[in-house]
Amino acid sequence: MEVRIENLKKFYGDRQVLQIEGLTIEKGEITAITGPNGCGKTTLLNIIAGLDRGFLGDIKYNGRQLSRDIVDKMTLVLQKPYLFRRTVFENIEYPLKIRGINKTGRKPLVDNLAKGLEIENLMEKKAHLLSGGESQKVALARALVFEPELLLLDEPTSNIDPDAIGILERQILNFNEETASTVIIVTHNMEQAKRLGHRIIELAYIE
Amino acid sequence: MDYIGQGFREALKLLISLDKEVFKIVSLSILVSSSATIFASLISIPLGVYFGIKRFRGKRMFSRITYTMMSVPSVVVGLVVAIILSRRGPFGQFDLLYTKKAMIIAQTILVIPLVFGLTYGLAKSRGDIIDRVAFTLGANKFHTVILIIRELKIDILVNIATAFSRAISEVGAVMIVGGNIKGYTRVITTTISMMNSMGDYPMAIALGLVLILISFVIHSLIYSYSQED
Repeated sequence: MEVRIENLKKFYGDRQVLQIEGLTIEKGEITAITGPNGCGKTTLLNIIAGLDRGFLGDIKYNGRQLSRDIVDKMTLVLQKPYLFRRTVFENIEYPLKIRGINKTGRKPLVDNLAKGLEIENLMEKKAHLLSGGESQKVALARALVFEPELLLLDEPTSNIDPDAIGILERQILNFNEETASTVIIVTHNMEQAKRLGHRIIELAYIE
Repeated sequence: MDYIGQGFREALKLLISLDKEVFKIVSLSILVSSSATIFASLISIPLGVYFGIKRFRGKRMFSRITYTMMSVPSVVVGLVVAIILSRRGPFGQFDLLYTKKAMIIAQTILVIPLVFGLTYGLAKSRGDIIDRVAFTLGANKFHTVILIIRELKIDILVNIATAFSRAISEVGAVMIVGGNIKGYTRVITTTISMMNSMGDYPMAIALGLVLILISFVIHSLIYSYSQED
């Protein structure tokens, strides 16, 4: 999915936090967005995801305005993921369930991702009781399971151990390669941005 | 002072001997209040969650009105329902006044604002993050409301128990629309009120103890369930 941003301005009260005159996120690419804390990275991601509608400007998804069918084809993984108070398996299968995919269709998709993210042993555990790294893996699996055309990731590897970072990054790269989906990843880690991104966009504070 | 002790002794005798009248009054109370709580919950919980997470103009005023409605006096509800159901009222032809159905209707109307207000407040404070996550996963409003109810089920159960406690312990509405007819619309609270005015304490004390016991059992069950979860 291509995302085109034009004349985007975002204010919190009198304070302007974002200004983007023109930006195209190319279809099938991984775009890494970096920048100092408070420069509006997460705000931009929330705006693209459709969670924040209080902005000026225009965003087009494959040349179209945000609509229900576009929302259905994209997802956002939050920096602190919220997992439902049910098992890991039930968390991951949720997007498939609400899309009407039956149980026999759901299971192999969930199992495949669980294998890739090395969380097969967690499937029957209550998701809200997992550690930070485990939660990030489950949140990523839940986001990838329905193969979104646009995947938005907000600091998906903050506060987790290096082994888990490697697994998550590998999964993101595999997903992008296999599905040619567009990925936008917000990270404050420039090394990670270089490892993952086809393109890096650096946001700066607005003077 | 001995009449109090004697009242308790006789009350215990009535309970231990499974007195038929006590049993009938208690069962009717449970039937009326649980039916009202179920109907009110079915209506108010989805609506409370929906309005709790919805952003709309005038939500602050809406919240104030909602919270005010939670404490509507039971006699006022009883009076309004009695007027509506009386022979000259809009639903007079159904001949519902002084029946169990009238009592269930009155208690349902009484607890709807309570269940709605409690659920609305809960969804407003804790539903936002679930709403956001559900949105990013492609859930529509219906899926989101169901998801939030499931996620907050323990708190919602506590709200339902609170509503049931309110229903079973109120006297104004059931007295007005039920009429406290022996063997037909007589419930725990109307009996206690009547026995007190007659000076017949054993039955009143026995029913008072049952009322407390019911409340204890319900809240204990919810507590155990929440601990398991």
